[in-house]
Amino acid sequence: MSPVTRRTFLADSAKASALLALGGGSMGSLLSACGNSTSGTSESSTLAVEVDEGQNANPFKWFASDMQSAVGVSPKIIGLPFVGQYEKIVSEMITRSNVYDVLIFPPFFVGDFVAKGFLHKMTDFGNEADFKLDDVLPVYRDPYLKRNGNLYAATYDGDQLQLAYRKDLFQKAGLTSPPKTWDDFIAYSKELHRPPNQYGNAFYGQRGFCYGWFINVFAANGGQWFTADMKPGISSDVGVKALETLLTLKQYAPPNILQIGYPELNDAYLKQNTAMVIQWNDLALKAEDSTKSKTVGMNGYAPSPVRNYMPYSRVMAISAYSSNPHNSYKMIQYMNRSEIAIKYVYDPNCGEDPYRTSLLNDVNAVKDHSGKPSMSPDAAASYVAANKAGIAIGYPELSIPGAPRYIDILDLKVNEALSGSSSPSQALKACADEWNSITTSLGKDQQVKAYGDWVDSFHKVGIQY
Amino acid sequence: MAAFLKRKPRLGGRRFALLTVAPATILLVGISIFPLAWALRLSFMQDNLLSIATPRFIGFANYGHLFHDRLFWTSLGVTAVFAISVLTVQLVIGLVIALALDRLPRYQQVLATILLIPSILSPSVVSFQWKQLFDYNNGVLNWALGVLHLPLQGWTASARGALPALVLVDFWEWTPFMVLLMFAGIKSLPRPVFEAARVDGSSGWQVLIFQTLPLLNRVIAIAVILRLIGAFKIFDIIYSLTAGGPGTSTESLAFYTYVQGFRYFDLGYSTAMAFITLILITILARLILGFMERPVGRPAGRTA
Repeated sequence: MSPVTRRTFLADSAKASALLALGGGSMGSLLSACGNSTSGTSESSTLAVEVDEGQNANPFKWFASDMQSAVGVSPKIIGLPFVGQYEKIVSEMITRSNVYDVLIFPPFFVGDFVAKGFLHKMTDFGNEADFKLDDVLPVYRDPYLKRNGNLYAATYDGDQLQLAYRKDLFQKAGLTSPPKTWDDFIAYSKELHRPPNQYGNAFYGQRGFCYGWFINVFAANGGQWFTADMKPGISSDVGVKALETLLTLKQYAPPNILQIGYPELNDAYLKQNTAMVIQWNDLALKAEDSTKSKTVGMNGYAPSPVRNYMPYSRVMAISAYSSNPHNSYKMIQYMNRSEIAIKYVYDPNCGEDPYRTSLLNDVNAVKDHSGKPSMSPDAAASYVAANKAGIAIGYPELSIPGAPRYIDILDLKVNEALSGSSSPSQALKACADEWNSITTSLGKDQQVKAYGDWVDSFHKVGIQY
Repeated sequence: MAAFLKRKPRLGGRRFALLTVAPATILLVGISIFPLAWALRLSFMQDNLLSIATPRFIGFANYGHLFHDRLFWTSLGVTAVFAISVLTVQLVIGLVIALALDRLPRYQQVLATILLIPSILSPSVVSFQWKQLFDYNNGVLNWALGVLHLPLQGWTASARGALPALVLVDFWEWTPFMVLLMFAGIKSLPRPVFEAARVDGSSGWQVLIFQTLPLLNRVIAIAVILRLIGAFKIFDIIYSLTAGGPGTSTESLAFYTYVQGFRYFDLGYSTAMAFITLILITILARLILGFMERPVGRPAGRTA
């Protein structure tokens, strides 16, 4: 046996370390595969699900164990903030990170995500028929899920703005029906305004989504996002009038209106401080839940006057960099099933709303995920009817390449006007200039085509635009 | 032993010197200079991660665009107002508290420890607690105004009030740091000079103006530079409390750079903006250092 010198000791140690590293790695992979993989595939059964944190992750948590037994996968939730979700997803996807398997995001990201190749086609792993698209409400179907004829996503949430109003206060003021026009809305707000204990109305005034409440009025005035050759529609007289309407409504709103975002707007209504609000439609479920609301049984629901803007919503898609795309498909298909969806879209503890025709057919289906009715039969009938009526006059959210940027600039300028830093016409003119720059930077011809395709997709499903 | 000492080194003096400085140089180049040079190159490119166009060299176009970008000038104005406000308030109040602390030897350790707390809190925690305090309906500040029968305030809800609200948060978070710097400076001043001044009949005010402040000027300059850099980089409390709003009333240079870089993914333009910020801070720091290098004034009181 040769003597052990320092040199041979170091060389042997290095060899042993290398062997351990290789062997250990393989062993680790083997163990990991045994513990996690679905039989027949090498994919992990625990999938990273990106979703805006909070109540919108709840359905995945509620059904985790059932999902495991039914399709052999379970979620690991990765929560992102509601505002700022876009930049966080893009920052990961740009680096081709496989940190997410299933992505949940609003469809106005779809244009950018498809253009940049961030999403798998759903049909790479199964059939369109798996998602029973015929049962998905047309407005949430092709325009939200498809690009160039390919299916990239499945629906998770069917958002729309909706009016919630206090029937008792309306009665007291002699108002017999919800406002049908924006002039009515202003008049009602004025009539019901009794500060500091009761405000006529409230809306989302915080930076992030205040543009949505502007578009809601803009749509009612007959406005369009762009002309066919991509000239911005917002700086027209119709746009200026809409922003002036919002400024008028600000006079009959809580004084901290610029601090009011989604939870604050819920609070403003649920704590009996506000006679009527336009909010995402999950507010109704919370308003009828005595653990969340002081207004149970006092509420009426109706679509927004004239047109009903449908901002946000959520879709589920497979990250192009996921290591587990087949299993991701199984998870998405499971959560999209109508028999599962009906258990979460009427639960007041999440923010998901009905997106299938079958979910709006039976008011008795308005139950939480444990099967307990979430509303009284009257309230359920009013809520479901408002959802149906809202969809019939739905106004689409912009979803073309660059949409997050167009929308962010619009939101900034609407917020500037609301804060009094600029007049409505100055704000919208500045916004239109920025929109033109964005269009130029993204290529005008491509944008004209993308916008035209997007408008066509709405026309095809019978949405007036 | 003698043979060992006589043996010529295997490496020449110059080569040995190069070898010894090499690790530090490689680290400096790799960690500091290379990223900076890469970023400088990026600032001359049109490079948007969301664009299908290939990145291309566009010379000074990004810098030129800055001069016509209204939001850039707005954010520069917001940053300047914020920096001047926080520096002035924190410097004056920090100095006053430090002088008071100097006169309370029994409580110095306890007070210094308590004072440190705001500065060691995570900015997100600070923002969260101030969000609660500023809340219109349930916030303590409005509760206090209500008790005093004063009108309730929107705090961060108005374009006029939001920036002062952020100054207040920064004041709360960073004044203690200023106090500790000043206090350390005061403690290091030569005591015989002050004793001599008192023997010479100088009043407390004269000692402060003609001795303490001139002798403290280097500490003040360092404190001002550190806080100036902090104020120019202000981002976290803006992101958490106002998101730059209402409108653009609290959109600082750092926040606007973030928006361009991480919301619109316009890397070239946002990097150009970051370099302009770097140049501005460097110029201001140089001016303050110039002030620091001035000779200290003559001592106060009677002279022989």
